[in-house]
Amino acid sequence: MKNFWKKYKYLLISCASVAAVLLVWYLLIDVMKLTKNSVFPGVEKTFGTFVAKLAEKKPDGATLGQHLLESLKVCLLGYSIGAVLGIPLGVAMAWNKWCDWLVRPVFDLIRPVPGLAWTPMFILIFGIGVEAKAMVIFVNSFVACIVNTYTGIRQADELHMWVGDVFGASNWQKLTKIAIPTATPMIFTGLRTALGGSWMALVAAEMLAASKGLGFMIQQARYISRPDLVIVGMLMIGVVGLALDMILQKVETMVAKGMNAK
Amino acid sequence: MKKKHINAMEWSCAVASIFAFLCLWHLGVKGDLGRLMPGPGPVIRMFLETLFGGRIGSCTMAVHILYSLARVMAGYFLGAAAGVVLGLAMGWSRLVEAVFSPLFRIIRPIPPIAWIPISIIWIGLGEDAKIFLIFLASFCNVTLNAWSGAKSVDGDYLRAAQMLGAGKGQLLFTVVLPATVPSIFAGLQVALSSCWATVLAAEMVRSSEGLGWIIIAGMNNNDMVQIMTGILAIGFVGMLLSMIFRKVETRLCRWNKSDS
Amino acid sequence: MPVEQKRQLITCTNVTKSFKVPEGVHPVVRDFNLKAQENEFICLFGPGQCGKTTLINLIAGFELPDEGGILVGGKPVTGPGPERGVVFQNITLFPWLTVMGNVEYGLKMAGVPKKGRQRRAQRYIDLVGLQGFEHTYPVKLSGGMRQRVGIARAYCIEPQVMLMDEPFGALDAQTRYLMQEELQRIWQSEKRTVIFVTNNIEEAIYLADRIIVLSNCPATVKEEYVVGMPRPRKYTAPEFLSLRKEITDIVDKTL
Repeated sequence: MKNFWKKYKYLLISCASVAAVLLVWYLLIDVMKLTKNSVFPGVEKTFGTFVAKLAEKKPDGATLGQHLLESLKVCLLGYSIGAVLGIPLGVAMAWNKWCDWLVRPVFDLIRPVPGLAWTPMFILIFGIGVEAKAMVIFVNSFVACIVNTYTGIRQADELHMWVGDVFGASNWQKLTKIAIPTATPMIFTGLRTALGGSWMALVAAEMLAASKGLGFMIQQARYISRPDLVIVGMLMIGVVGLALDMILQKVETMVAKGMNAK
Repeated sequence: MKKKHINAMEWSCAVASIFAFLCLWHLGVKGDLGRLMPGPGPVIRMFLETLFGGRIGSCTMAVHILYSLARVMAGYFLGAAAGVVLGLAMGWSRLVEAVFSPLFRIIRPIPPIAWIPISIIWIGLGEDAKIFLIFLASFCNVTLNAWSGAKSVDGDYLRAAQMLGAGKGQLLFTVVLPATVPSIFAGLQVALSSCWATVLAAEMVRSSEGLGWIIIAGMNNNDMVQIMTGILAIGFVGMLLSMIFRKVETRLCRWNKSDS
Repeated sequence: MPVEQKRQLITCTNVTKSFKVPEGVHPVVRDFNLKAQENEFICLFGPGQCGKTTLINLIAGFELPDEGGILVGGKPVTGPGPERGVVFQNITLFPWLTVMGNVEYGLKMAGVPKKGRQRRAQRYIDLVGLQGFEHTYPVKLSGGMRQRVGIARAYCIEPQVMLMDEPFGALDAQTRYLMQEELQRIWQSEKRTVIFVTNNIEEAIYLADRIIVLSNCPATVKEEYVVGMPRPRKYTAPEFLSLRKEITDIVDKTL
């Protein structure tokens, strides 16, 4: 018994802490009815909304799953185009000085603008369809991928390059066999930052202009004063963001392992 | 001598590329695209005209910038202070960690922007709500970094301090805190850009001044020049902020750099 | 001339320590006994990973023995404390403090007012020959200079006992000889009881009053030599070489 307590003490405290918050929430809202459900929903109400929203299309025209799919689709579309274009450009900028000198000044002009600041411009150009949002996300992930890839390649150890020279590696071999593997962790950092940023930008873009998607859902729920639905949406956004990050982390360990095995 | 030569080359490349970019932009909007997009001339002119003189909405560009900056700074510093305290406490004491880490793990992945609707319901989207959103953006990033930094303090430093007679509280303030500073700064940097994005989003959703308002009002009036002027200002201020940040960091983390 | 009254300062009796590893229990120190007198310079000499560092950690109080007891100045060791200064193998200066900040750290923790502690710290900075570097950060110092700060830092809290865990292990050979001379000079001007761990036999013979040869893991006392040669010693003196051969032979037999 004592050993059990020692081993799981902190885990139990963690559980107790979450339980305590839920309990206080339950007591204050569900039992003591301190505020109305239209301001701060109770535990029961929120959970009920979550279950109901899985199948129900009211009040915003789509079920939770449909909103989620829509958001994921747009996010991954813009994100992958950004990554596919951004990583090679980052490599080129870090590897070739002419490319660096010519592209970087323009890139440095664009970089300090947060991705979602482009939203109004893209909406005017493309309308409120998928394209505008995908473009916002594209800019986001493009910039993050370039920055991190560039730094990663630049970090390649000079000594390793000399080893390459000694063994007569060509410029291309030095790039693919030495610089890119060295940069892989940084590139993944970039991919993860980009994904987090993309997800956040998407929510913002959907709140401004959309007819479907999680951001749209919470914004609609706000208009008709349904805080329970807003909270369900927020938690969903958080959980999906976390899941995406965890998937990328898994991919990273797999890729890193593959490289070590070679 | 050779080094100087390369620098001159690099500079001329930079000038050439920015010039080429402006030319392309200028020529690009001559044709069909021109109906949608303004050229660089009108944008730069509007930026300079409105900076101190003319007005966009209710005030000059400089005042809009100050509005946005004031919101960012208030939320940023509050969030950073709270984040450093909670992060250090979680890294230092397993009890604090056990109590707060599950709650933090639930809150953290929710982007601050997703809090906008709920905060409108609760407190409207006035100044306090905007500052609350920016607070969240700063708080989450800083807490995470301070926490992991404090957890990974080299045990040898702690031993050395104990050997020299430091008590528990002294260990926290003279060893754990300074050893965590570089990690906290990494968090502060991410937090700053996250806060900058958040204030724009909040202003875009509801506000009557600030840089986010400029671009969203431009969208509502179909005024592309205003949007691009706003973007120009946003980029300019963002760049300035990160430059100032880097200066402060090099001063405070002097000991961490062998080459400075 | 009266006989100098030597006080016994460190007593280790049957100290035993083992660590839990995935394969079971790994004994590191077994039945270790040691008596050290005031102002005695003792070298613990032993092969590679024989638990020397663990012995230092036990006396320093970073770890507690499974069995047996350690008394320092008559009091049992229950944790680290400023009456036992430690010089670490990997130095571990606080990188965010200057040389002065590192040396005065212990006094600051003890609440000594600024003026007094800086005066005292300055004395030890001078003693280790680092005048002019008071306001330099450790990243800018060479390995040898950093370890001088490490020694000054431990000295500055004026401990009864100095514990040195292969302090020169990470230095290049040239610097190492220099630091050995320096340490001897410092010790002769500020006498302390020193327990000095090393895996370098010449270093041990050069510095020690008494050399304790440890067996391979688990560490226990294998042999003891009193080095009576007058200081400063010469690495090439016949006495030095014969003692060196004697100790080398006994260590070789165990490996």
